[in-house]
Amino acid sequence: MDEKKYQSKYKRVGQAYDRKDAREKVTGQAVFTYDMELPGMLHARCLLSPYARARIVSIDTSKAKALPGVRAVLCGEDSDILVGLYMQDKRVLAKGETRYHGDVVAAIAADDEETAERAISLLDVVYEPLQPVHDVDEALRAEILVHDDINELKHYVGVFFPQKDSNIASWNKSKKGDLDMAFEEADLVVENEFSLPAVAHAPMETHVAIVQADPYSNKVRIWSSAQSPFAIRQIMADSFGISESDVEVHIPYVGGGFGGKAGIHLEPLATLLSRAAGGLPVKVRATREQEFNQLPTRAGMRGRIKTGVTKEGKLTGVRAVYDWDSGAYADYGVNVGKTAVYSGIGPYKVDNASIDSKTIYTNKVFSTAYRGFGHLETHWSIERQMDILSQHLQIDPYEFRMMNLLKPGDQTMSGEVITESNGSPSDCLTAVVKEIGWTGRKTEEERQREWKTGKVRGKGFAMLQKAPAMPANTSTSVIMQMNGDGHVKLMIGAVDFGQGAITALAQIAAQELDIPIEHIEISAEIDTRANPYDWNTVASKLIFMGGNAVIKASREMLRKMKEIAAQALRTDPENLLHANGEVYHRHSPERRLTYKQIALGYMYPNGTGIGGPLISSGSSIADGLTNLHPETGQGYPAAVWTFGAHAIEIEVDVETGYVDVLKVASAFDIGQVINEKLVYGQICGGVVQGLGSALLEGYKFNSDEQLMNPSFTDNKIPTMKDIPGKIVPIYIENPQHNGPYGARGVGEHPMISVPSAVGNAVYDALGINFHVLPLSPEAIALGIASGKKSILCTDVDCLPGRH
Amino acid sequence: MISRFTYFKPHNLNEAVQYLEKKEKSFVLAGGTDLMILLRRNLINAEHIVDIKALPETTAFEFIEGAGLTIGASVVVNTVVDSEVVKAKYPALNEAAASLASYQLRNRATVVGNICNASPGADLPPALLVYDAVVNIAGPQGMRQVPLHEFFTGVKRTVLQRGELVVSVQMPEPGEGDKSIYLRQARLRGHDLATVGVASRIKPDGKVAIGICAVAPTPKRLFALEDMINERGLSQETIEWAAEEIREHIRPITDVRSSAQYRLQMASVLLKRGLLALIGKEA
Amino acid sequence: MDNVKDCSMVTEHIESGKRKVTLSLTVNGRQIVRDVDPNMTLLHFLRDNLKLFGTKEACGEGECGACTIIMNGQAVTSCIILAVEAEGAEITTVEGLAEDGKLSILQEEFISQDALQCGFCTPGFLMSTRALLDNNPNPTDAEIVEVLGGNLCRCTGYIPIMLAVRRAAERERKELGR
Repeated sequence: MDEKKYQSKYKRVGQAYDRKDAREKVTGQAVFTYDMELPGMLHARCLLSPYARARIVSIDTSKAKALPGVRAVLCGEDSDILVGLYMQDKRVLAKGETRYHGDVVAAIAADDEETAERAISLLDVVYEPLQPVHDVDEALRAEILVHDDINELKHYVGVFFPQKDSNIASWNKSKKGDLDMAFEEADLVVENEFSLPAVAHAPMETHVAIVQADPYSNKVRIWSSAQSPFAIRQIMADSFGISESDVEVHIPYVGGGFGGKAGIHLEPLATLLSRAAGGLPVKVRATREQEFNQLPTRAGMRGRIKTGVTKEGKLTGVRAVYDWDSGAYADYGVNVGKTAVYSGIGPYKVDNASIDSKTIYTNKVFSTAYRGFGHLETHWSIERQMDILSQHLQIDPYEFRMMNLLKPGDQTMSGEVITESNGSPSDCLTAVVKEIGWTGRKTEEERQREWKTGKVRGKGFAMLQKAPAMPANTSTSVIMQMNGDGHVKLMIGAVDFGQGAITALAQIAAQELDIPIEHIEISAEIDTRANPYDWNTVASKLIFMGGNAVIKASREMLRKMKEIAAQALRTDPENLLHANGEVYHRHSPERRLTYKQIALGYMYPNGTGIGGPLISSGSSIADGLTNLHPETGQGYPAAVWTFGAHAIEIEVDVETGYVDVLKVASAFDIGQVINEKLVYGQICGGVVQGLGSALLEGYKFNSDEQLMNPSFTDNKIPTMKDIPGKIVPIYIENPQHNGPYGARGVGEHPMISVPSAVGNAVYDALGINFHVLPLSPEAIALGIASGKKSILCTDVDCLPGRH
Repeated sequence: MISRFTYFKPHNLNEAVQYLEKKEKSFVLAGGTDLMILLRRNLINAEHIVDIKALPETTAFEFIEGAGLTIGASVVVNTVVDSEVVKAKYPALNEAAASLASYQLRNRATVVGNICNASPGADLPPALLVYDAVVNIAGPQGMRQVPLHEFFTGVKRTVLQRGELVVSVQMPEPGEGDKSIYLRQARLRGHDLATVGVASRIKPDGKVAIGICAVAPTPKRLFALEDMINERGLSQETIEWAAEEIREHIRPITDVRSSAQYRLQMASVLLKRGLLALIGKEA
Repeated sequence: MDNVKDCSMVTEHIESGKRKVTLSLTVNGRQIVRDVDPNMTLLHFLRDNLKLFGTKEACGEGECGACTIIMNGQAVTSCIILAVEAEGAEITTVEGLAEDGKLSILQEEFISQDALQCGFCTPGFLMSTRALLDNNPNPTDAEIVEVLGGNLCRCTGYIPIMLAVRRAAERERKELGR
């Protein structure tokens, strides 16, 4: 909690402005979808499957329909619409068979929530329970198929690879070099397995959507707590067979997303209900319980890593196999799996490597994007493996990593050549290792001495890298218009759900146009009728891509302004400069016009106008990306890498197993700080969320794959009592040559590798390698009690995801 | 919530008892922190809610020298947390109260509610048990007293009969030199249910009392273990022995919050740490 | 058919409605008299009846603190209180923090320390803090954490909130002489 002292070389970029949405949020004026009421609005409730997998024998809706106030009752028989981001595999309402405990069996819209809830209690459903697919091993045996129509599922061809007659929604691969030779040449080959459970995003506002479906046309009006209005529009159009212009998506303030609201979720159900209720608007809101057990989560994962290394510490080869327990539907899960094949060896130079990443269907709650997806999980495996290798080699883990980190000229897993413009992984590692005061691993004698006091301290660190996981042609756009008073309205189709993006984009516009940030009008609320296209608000891409689009729009705006001003001032536009909201002649600065004078067109003294209202736009499309080769995974997947590192000091109570986090140092090569206050917020928030994954969080299922902890009572997230003693943010600013002011994304990165750094610190403290998350007091204490030096998921009788 | 109920707020005890006796599906409301969740999850179907906060008998929070402490059924947990008398005379109760749920919840949750809810993992009963608390119950037949250790009959079950309500809980004043402590383990530092909670007390005569939660269907006094410790005489050696012996006196289960194995280990650690702290030795 | 199970919900539907209760209380300094259903929570009363949408529900079970309001001087979670229990109460919600159109010091500090991101939990944090500082104008860090520990935030990592509360307490003591 140090006072911050960042100095920027720019007037507006880099300054710590207050966020633009703050005032509405501290006064209770900010309107979230949850707060919205529309005339005639109905409320919905869902009946969820009470089994992981069951045949729906019959549904008797007569009593529910007869209840006064009930306006619509729907079950699977009423609609065959399929939705899905990358795989069209999810029915809006289950029909025939349910695939997880959260499948919607029936939904009811009524005049008020109480009536809807009461009506749900009047439904009579008869099920025949079926044997569920419990885990990835069972799924891979393919004796039971979660989707027996997998061979026919419509999917994004060439990017995702569903396997015939299997439970594999996508099998993505990458390989390069000669792995057999690499393992042969290695002095040491080490193979380990790591795993982590499913974890909830836990946004404070649960998923909620209101839909009004015009009964007389295809028009669908949606208000949703969602991250990606244009993805919703496109998928709605695709699934319902209507045009994109029929779908209107409004995003009011969003109470947290973290990836969980990146796709499409309650909107199709609300649409069907609204249609069934004669076009009245219907609000579908997840209870907290449904947020946990119906809405998607981060997938559980098992990573198997085999690494070859010379005795000097040079990596010769890595083979990684990642199996994702993605639950009943593919959603974003296949993209998570895809991410692993280009990022899943960490920021290291490895000439011989292969990665197999399988996104696997099981009868559990399904998975989606979650902050740093595909990275937190794979880094848990890779960065623990690096630490274990350094133990075997008896080389300092800092030296070991420094020897192998990517440098300019090296190639990433997918064959992309790293340049100075990518930033520096080693600068990040060196910075955090210094900040934490690393002097080498604890000796066994030191450990024993401390052990007698009951508390043992340890330090650990881990690298991280992340690039946005997105289609090669991902794009975004902004529209900029000058108001009559010389202020500027800026519109983008991406959503600020708390990251601070609108403030940062406004700073970029203010910097470019040289006007106060207060003169930039930008709203967090999105309307697809007005705001221009953006692909998805995910992947930490908004400042990078959106920022570039803002720069383009600003420059076009300035060019247009100067053209008009040149006429008015009787000069050539090339002679004009701009500053402080004015355009002026570079030689005779007294010849000048304010922005206000030309905003709606310049007016001569006699009333004649020229120019007209100033409007400009800017588009940004991912530059030079390609789809990855289906077999080798070679290609260009990454618009922008951000490298970083965490170093963490902990203290472990050796009897209770409690891990206290004393200090976290986090460094990211973000190229350029746009707003230090906002970056600091992302780091504190991401680190604490990462500590949740490291120490605390995880889904626990019973033998029927029912979620046993679907509430904040038992699915704990960190509180103010659980924050580290100190978080030290370190901003490294090696500029990205095609980034806005050199900036890279940093929204997700603070979360990645926090668990790995904690795991490495636990080893330093205890001399025990944990291969499973979370490192809960129970896991640590029972791990110590087991007397083993490696703790796998089979070793402690307490871990989530097990029965 | 699909329960629809009549809300009744009686002003005298007879009225309350008669109403509770007469009306089917009536539930007592004090702090509501447990009841409201049952209603919200539709786990109970209430037709009558009897808010007892206006009953004068339930608002008592009183310490009388020589007689001890009485906590009425409407007294919220934070009142106990803030009480200087409790801090001085009943430190284990203070610590248990301060560890219960969140600050906001403690402004509503009542001490008696924590007893009546009869959760196996309730934090306050272990502390109340070591102070030999007695529960004052009003019912159709008048008042009766039940020692707290006989009050619980099973998971979420108590000796309360139809028409009965707990008016207060009381406990005698500990003598000069009395020492006590409550230690708990949870999954995080923030508000959480106890994985295990252990109240330890050493009375002025050197005899120990041990109360524990989350290791059996009900919170428990470990009388047999206490006798064995008292017989051996309290010492560091005895404490270390007791920390092992306690495993024989509890029957924890594995549930979503903890494995039985970890609960056994924590019961042992918390008892050892508690007693060592009371005899002035660090664990 | 023994593996075929009827899964209707545990609670039966109750046929008859129950009488409304007249409730009078003070909210943000305003006298309110309304008839309410006995099963309406105080949170729903504030939102649905009084249209004070600043107070949020994020769990509905008192675990997250998003619905925190001040009732008779104490921070409480309004989602697990029945509206009828608030008879005669004095209630302050986030809408009652700013006076005469001017933000309070506490609100200003939440803005300047960036103690919020998505903003959904923010009203609850503000109300918990307000109650804390009203009862204790000079809290220690431990006292701040004890009270705000009951409010969950998934965005900020809490550190900026801690900074804001410290600063607000300091400024209130200096500028308002608390």
